[in-house]
Amino acid sequence: MDEQMAVKAAAGGAPSRMRRFRLGREFGVFVALVVLCVALTLLNDRFLTPTNLLNIGRQVSLMGIMAVGMTFVLVSGEVDLSVGSTYGLCGIAVGVLLVAGYPLALAIAAGLVLGAGIGLINGVLSTYLRVPSLIATLGTLSMVRGAALILTDGKPVTVNARNGVGEADLAMFEFLGQGKVLGIPMQLAFFIVIALAGWFLLSRTSFGFRIFAVGGSAKAARVSGINVASVKIWALTLMGTLAALAGTLSLAFLPSGQAGRMGLGLELDVIAATIVGGTTLAGGEGTILGTVLGVLIIGVLRNGLVLTGVSPFAQEFLIGLVIVVAVAIDKWSTSSKSN
Amino acid sequence: MRRLVTQLAAAAACIAGTAGGALAEPVNISDFNLNPRIAAKIAAGEELNIYVSYPDVSNEFAPFVLEGVARADAMDGITATVIGPVGPDADLQIDQIETLLDTMDGLAIASVSTDALAPLLNRMIDEGIPVIAYNTDNPASKRLVFAGQDLVQSGREAGKLMGEVLGKGKVIITTLNAAAQWSLDREQGAREGLAAFPDIEVVSTLNTGTEPQEIYGAIENAMLANPDVTGILSLECCSTPAAGTWVERNDAKGRVHVVGFDLLDLTVDHIADGYIDATIDQDPERQGFEAVNLLAQFLHGETIDDIDTGVKIYTSANIDELK
Repeated sequence: MDEQMAVKAAAGGAPSRMRRFRLGREFGVFVALVVLCVALTLLNDRFLTPTNLLNIGRQVSLMGIMAVGMTFVLVSGEVDLSVGSTYGLCGIAVGVLLVAGYPLALAIAAGLVLGAGIGLINGVLSTYLRVPSLIATLGTLSMVRGAALILTDGKPVTVNARNGVGEADLAMFEFLGQGKVLGIPMQLAFFIVIALAGWFLLSRTSFGFRIFAVGGSAKAARVSGINVASVKIWALTLMGTLAALAGTLSLAFLPSGQAGRMGLGLELDVIAATIVGGTTLAGGEGTILGTVLGVLIIGVLRNGLVLTGVSPFAQEFLIGLVIVVAVAIDKWSTSSKSN
Repeated sequence: MRRLVTQLAAAAACIAGTAGGALAEPVNISDFNLNPRIAAKIAAGEELNIYVSYPDVSNEFAPFVLEGVARADAMDGITATVIGPVGPDADLQIDQIETLLDTMDGLAIASVSTDALAPLLNRMIDEGIPVIAYNTDNPASKRLVFAGQDLVQSGREAGKLMGEVLGKGKVIITTLNAAAQWSLDREQGAREGLAAFPDIEVVSTLNTGTEPQEIYGAIENAMLANPDVTGILSLECCSTPAAGTWVERNDAKGRVHVVGFDLLDLTVDHIADGYIDATIDQDPERQGFEAVNLLAQFLHGETIDDIDTGVKIYTSANIDELK
């Protein structure tokens, strides 16, 4: 049996695209998103305006970019808790380099390499050194956050002309975070491109097949000749790189970052959005479309609760409730289909 | 606009001169049952270990306080050490203090949670280890004195400033943590200050969370939900620059007014550029210095009392003092 046949066997065949969508977990998430949007439109006339919809798109973009990476990691059967810290460290590092006078391209490249390096370390720890990724990335979460604090001595890093950043580099950096392409905020444009690339990589390439195979059954994947450790390391490296990109875009949008706060707790939002979108913590299941829908549900909910004037404490409660209900419905519908 | 700046500058001068007010009785070591271990060290002329516990050493405000502690550390006969959790975690703050208790000759603390820390602080006082509060008071404990800003009063001044800037209109109040004691105190003061302006309505208190993108997104959503809001009153360091950034990005200078707290780099820039109308400084460097200095004075027999680090207001009229 060759590699792709093994994967297809594990996936249980290939129904038609439309049928797969209707039967798939994304459909339930899509319906939930539509219901949410209709309800918010009825409750508040400012919800369904182009400005607000673009705001939501921009606000979820950074979480979305990381959620695409997290989909690869979770589908491969691992988890990465260090993404919030990686986002913070890499964004801060780009800022430090810019303020120190390094060219923009070099600063951004260094930030991305740093993120990829953190992902690589997570991958090596959780495969060759056999530290469960939950524990390994819990450790790197703390180490990376500490590194960011050491790098800046806890002080904010502000990227502006007053701190000596060159005019051309500053203009380009601000465009990356604050500019628009065809009326679409740059952060959202990045998210759309990353989501499309992620969808292609996960569902249309042999790397994607290997991710599903490894997450579905590492033993079966190994027997069919897949290098399980290599696949997982690549997934975590991709995750680190995307977290670094999101951190860089964050600093480009709000030009002042602080190591103690940037990306703090973001890992939970990213994992929650990915799981709401139908990706399982057990590995082997998940889609980029589902993740995008999950990210939108969290973003629409946050936006809508503020628009409708729900108290801040109730907002936290309701967001948590929706995550629990969404995952419970998903589990229930999955087991119903199995039966 | 010039009239407004002049009013704010006048208010700044006035407030800086009048803020204050003792909260506790002056204390002297002769009235305190000092731990024999510490008494022996003083008698032997040994270096005294003073610990300064900050509630979140990773936040933006901490470096300013730490600068003051570093200045105090240079004093003869004193070793000042900063401790504190990364992230506002009361359990971690308690654990660190308990771990170091046997080597502590004095503790200055800004509590993560007044109620959670009070029993430990009271135990320390009972064991003869002097404890003072700085930055954030802990009135639930038996701490000796407090060095910092009167939070209700500073909130009151922020409310008054917003009232003077706005005259009439709708205001949202923003805070990183609406449930924290410091936030509740400042909010109470801000609402009291705004109450003197009957044509101003407080629409809501916005809990922004602590992550920068989250803070900006929360302000963005709230302003979209309430397009008739013309004032943003931030209660702390970190939603202040975000509010200024919102004004800048939405071309709302002169239409939406911002009053906030503290002097982060971006806040200073936004005041200079007119996106933030005023910010209230609480002299965190002095708070850090006095945290150590008060304990050193106490241990060397001087009588100590509360110190109010005051309310210093910065507007475009005086922000250049910082450059």
